[in-house]
Amino acid sequence: MKRYFVPFFLFFAAPVHADDKSSTFTKEQVAFFEKDVQPLLKKNCLKCHGGREKIKGGLRLTSRDSILKGGDTGPAVNLAKPAESLLIQAIEHAKDGYEMPPDGDKLPAKDRATLAKWVKEGLPWSATAAPPIAAQPAVEPGGVVTEKSKQYWAYRPIHRPAVPAVKNSGWVKTPIDAFLLARLESKGLTPNGPADKVALARRAYYDLWGLPPTPEQIDAFVADHSANAFEKLVDMLLASPHYGEKWGRHWLDLVRYAETNGYERDGPKPNAWRYRDYVIRSFNADKPYDRFVQEQIAGDELWPDDADAIIATGYYRLGIWDDEPADKDQALFDGYDDLVATTGQVFLGMALNCARCHDHKRDPIPQADYYKLLAFFRGIRPYSDTRDVKSSNNQTDITPAAKRALYEDGLKARLAKANELKKEMKPFEDAAIKKMSPADQLKVDDGKRDEVVRKVPQYLTGSDRTAYSRLRRAYDAVMRQPLPDRDLALSVANCDPRPPQSYVMVRGNPHVRGKEVSPGFPEVLGFPTPTIPPPKAGAKTSGRRTVLAKWLTDPANPLPARAFVNRIWQYHFGRGIVPSPNDFGKLGEPVTHPELLDWLASELVSGGWTTKRMHKLIMLSSAYQMASTNSEANAKIDVGNSLYWRFPMRRLGAEEVRDSMLAVSGSLNPAMYGPSVYPKIPKDVLAGQSVPGQGWHTSPPAEANRRSVYVHVKRSLLVPVLNNHDAADTDLSCPVRYTTTVPTQALSMLNGEFANEQAVALAKRLQTECPDDLTKQVSRAIRLTTGRVPGADELAKDVAFVKSLQEKYGMTATKALTQYALLCLNANEFIYLD
Amino acid sequence: MNAENQFCRRTRREFLWQAGGGFTGLALTGMLARDGFAADSHKRTTAFVNPMAVKPPMIPAKAKAVIFIFCYGGPSHIDTFDYKPNMIGMDNKVVPVKTFGRGGKKNEGRVVEPRWKFKQYGQCGKWVSDLFPHMATCVDDMAFIHTMYAESPIHGSAMLMMNSGRILSGNPCLGSWVTYGLGSVNENLPGFVVMLDKTGGPISGPKNWASGYMPAAYQGVVVRADKTPIHDLALPPGITRNEQRILLDHLKEKNLEHLQTRADNSELSARIASYELAYKMQQYAPEAVDFATETKETLGLYGIEGPTEARTADFGRKCLLARRLVERGVRFVQVYSGGAHNDDNWDAHTDIIKNHSKHAGHTDLPVAGLLKDLKRKGLLDSTIVIWGGEFGRQPTAEYATGTGRDHNSYAFTMWLAGGGIKGGVSVGKTDELGAQPVGEKFHVKNLHATVLQQMGLDPNKLSYFYGGLNQKLVGVEGAEPIHQAIA
Repeated sequence: MKRYFVPFFLFFAAPVHADDKSSTFTKEQVAFFEKDVQPLLKKNCLKCHGGREKIKGGLRLTSRDSILKGGDTGPAVNLAKPAESLLIQAIEHAKDGYEMPPDGDKLPAKDRATLAKWVKEGLPWSATAAPPIAAQPAVEPGGVVTEKSKQYWAYRPIHRPAVPAVKNSGWVKTPIDAFLLARLESKGLTPNGPADKVALARRAYYDLWGLPPTPEQIDAFVADHSANAFEKLVDMLLASPHYGEKWGRHWLDLVRYAETNGYERDGPKPNAWRYRDYVIRSFNADKPYDRFVQEQIAGDELWPDDADAIIATGYYRLGIWDDEPADKDQALFDGYDDLVATTGQVFLGMALNCARCHDHKRDPIPQADYYKLLAFFRGIRPYSDTRDVKSSNNQTDITPAAKRALYEDGLKARLAKANELKKEMKPFEDAAIKKMSPADQLKVDDGKRDEVVRKVPQYLTGSDRTAYSRLRRAYDAVMRQPLPDRDLALSVANCDPRPPQSYVMVRGNPHVRGKEVSPGFPEVLGFPTPTIPPPKAGAKTSGRRTVLAKWLTDPANPLPARAFVNRIWQYHFGRGIVPSPNDFGKLGEPVTHPELLDWLASELVSGGWTTKRMHKLIMLSSAYQMASTNSEANAKIDVGNSLYWRFPMRRLGAEEVRDSMLAVSGSLNPAMYGPSVYPKIPKDVLAGQSVPGQGWHTSPPAEANRRSVYVHVKRSLLVPVLNNHDAADTDLSCPVRYTTTVPTQALSMLNGEFANEQAVALAKRLQTECPDDLTKQVSRAIRLTTGRVPGADELAKDVAFVKSLQEKYGMTATKALTQYALLCLNANEFIYLD
Repeated sequence: MNAENQFCRRTRREFLWQAGGGFTGLALTGMLARDGFAADSHKRTTAFVNPMAVKPPMIPAKAKAVIFIFCYGGPSHIDTFDYKPNMIGMDNKVVPVKTFGRGGKKNEGRVVEPRWKFKQYGQCGKWVSDLFPHMATCVDDMAFIHTMYAESPIHGSAMLMMNSGRILSGNPCLGSWVTYGLGSVNENLPGFVVMLDKTGGPISGPKNWASGYMPAAYQGVVVRADKTPIHDLALPPGITRNEQRILLDHLKEKNLEHLQTRADNSELSARIASYELAYKMQQYAPEAVDFATETKETLGLYGIEGPTEARTADFGRKCLLARRLVERGVRFVQVYSGGAHNDDNWDAHTDIIKNHSKHAGHTDLPVAGLLKDLKRKGLLDSTIVIWGGEFGRQPTAEYATGTGRDHNSYAFTMWLAGGGIKGGVSVGKTDELGAQPVGEKFHVKNLHATVLQQMGLDPNKLSYFYGGLNQKLVGVEGAEPIHQAIA
């Protein structure tokens, strides 16, 4: 059976035939073609090898020339050796995987004979046959690297542009403002004035922490009238560990972070949480981005003794993995595809994955580029060689020395005790064995003593039997006693120091090898082919990934810095300077401010790749501190705000929604790090699983109320409040979160268990903090959920509302306040930021 | 949505949803189809577009809705609709036959004769086994595809393939594509609905109705044929509908005040509207599952009442609910027969008689009732009903003893009815044992292409830009509908 839409012709190095241009055919031959051959082609072949669209394998059977020219894999007909023609081999199903027609049986023998005769006679053609259809010219051909294609902005070296001059220089707080203002002024746009301080504080807290500021935190900022009040706030936010919890989550979106493998069993990825913690720690430590990248790509090669560098290679193990693939080769290369796609998109902003089956349609990425990048990863073995989720391929022992000593001591102690007991048991066993069957005695001689000693009690009597059983129980207990922990990390492990030869896989088919390739970089960037030093004797890996890691952080490589600063910008302003952050190519969205992007990229590199410095640079700009209000005049010119005349409003992200509800209700458990937690998932959601509740070990409430970044990420089971608010899809890199608004969100926020529990907790908090004073309780609720001090009218209205619930609907004070708390958690002002 | 000219990328689409591009839902499709769409990318305005807003079909549509009866686990084709008279007398003979199932690849096996008698039914004279005496009475409305094949004989990946066209996880389901392409005409109900077996969800659970790289708005919503059909539809304990109305009124007042200075942001108004929709959904969704207005005769037709009630009522309720949802404008309804693991679904590894008797017994009458009811209500013309599993079963035994059959993804049978499907036809032939196709065979993608085309969506042009590619349900290579099955 053919399970792929396979290429029909091998990669074929035969010369193109140029010797037949003067071919002429007899009347009989032409008639044969018209009467017998042409209808056959029409009926069986031209659907895929005829028209303008959907030409498969690049082969057109619509003219004699196009047949001789052939498709992606060479000429279809070899006039010199007709029987060896690919066309004949295809219709004869002579090669596995190359059968034509692709679905079903061979053509009837008669038809095959007709075609064979036709080929043998030199492809007679008819003058009246339909004129050849020319290949449709592509919009702009991709897949080929030309001098012109190298000039595309994304591939050019980063040149630090001069900061442009502007008219309203008073607005310019950082060079960022000058770049934006120059464009705004050229279009006759006026940037908004500054946001009010409450809005700015909320913006900054959410951007850097993903949590709402408390009323006290807002008050402190509002009361600070010093010139650098906002800078102090930003410094404080960046210094807090909450920063890593928020920005680490952005990174986890990109690297398709999940803690299970997907598919039928959706089994756990042991120790995946260490990677999550590593990412949070790295952001908090302001680890230079180049080091951060190097650790993830080649930490095991570069710093084998550094636990964090090992954990970082968990990057390679986060994707989906089918423990029971129908086709092993396909699964192996699907695994590599995940690595090529993720690495290309995340670190380079390049859609290299588009070149798995063919040259990229629009970008100058030949198919070989894909396989050259894949070759860097070829030494990485599959997630697991068996169906076991824990494998020597994916776990590395990172136990620190002190802890390891404990483990080894424990092991030693256990063995000593066990040996002692064994010694005591031996005389009993020897006596019993002498009474056993010859077969069993033979086993002992064969070194299979362990198999027979279980039978020993049967051959003992009285006090011997009792004594032996006691010893045996003691022995079993010693062996069962847990040893001190070892720390294991999800990582690459057991790599192949001498990876197999890599090939271009023809049409992406893992069973069809094309030309050989070795590790290399996308051609368009113009780097020489790297030399991979041969692995030293005893080397654990090939060293290929070290070469890749260095290149991915080479300041001469223009893409990594651009890709990363673009993301920093995106996560502050809601949209990247390149709005398609995983694809800087022609199928992505055009860059809006290329000079600004380059200026930021050069700042990143010259500043030692530190991220916190970039945050400050951006947040201290006038642009970041603008109000989000509308301006009719500006909207007439740039309604989509593509030039940033205002700060864009945004909805809270999925984690922010959940964490904010927990925070304002006072239920948030701020504990950091460690194995993931499992908030309660309602029964009817669990019912969707084939074994309801499987793989979801509901945590006790306090644990469950930790920040969402610590919530277990199970591919096939999502926590409703996160899923409803567009949490990242984890099967592929997620560069941009959606913001969808659907009624089922409202249902869960109004009726759902989680929302109602938080409303109860918030009401309780209000009663505790403002006992017996409804006005104060209402005011506090508004402050907690919006940051703002409510106006007198608003306060009066809300108090009247709560009172009416008590008076008209007979609710108790607590119930009425709980309903009000629920309302506050549902308000747009709580969920949206100015 | 012409693949050549379309440049609607994920982020741009995202802006269209959150910001709307200033178009109504109807205009959205038009815009996306237009050549100049890329040039308009900066005109991002802030009018709201409901992702579920109705969109006109791309090509003339024959059907408006789909009901997919998913026989999870893999029903045996040779025991049901693929008549193999030559196997009679071969029981227990060891024959050379290539098979590939969970037990790996084999080159020979012990034949297990079909365990049910076959009879001819209908004008078309279709042979159907005694497992399905009721469905058999509808054969003149059905098109049987006997040479379906899938890329994997393993449940997890084959389920993903049947639902999303790929064995790899992460892709949107057929139901997502249909609602993405057409929207939903009833905003008070979800557009893509999934009903699970009483024993539980299928393997991989929600992945089977996920929207993959599309927004979550297009994922299936699990609906139950009971009082609270949708998760979180029921009011919280101790709250009345009137009390919730009061709360919603005050919430709206607050939200409108907040909106005053932010009137240009359509997301805010969309969110306000979504609360009103949620309120209405709480009214209409229970109405959809309230069978009080159905006659006793109708309930009997579905096996909800009557002599078979004990076996058929549960699945009958789901089938009746499927009809009621389709009547109310739901686009895509998937009903699972079988859930959980092993013999809780059609996965008959040990005893084909016990397993299939049970599942056929639960579903035969209700599915036939559904077809008949749709037909008499005039709904069958515009509703495609699909029946089948993620694969079929082998002609040979899995173990040394017993009648269990392993999986067969080389060839299996599915049937389609209604929505412009040609009735009374059988497409494709399998070999004497039903092990492999003989002649033309049909990939799962061909089935998907058929459904999309009947729904008015060009399978080779309906695309969604993601990951640098115009992603299609039928894959970049495209796929043809099964023309022989189309009227």
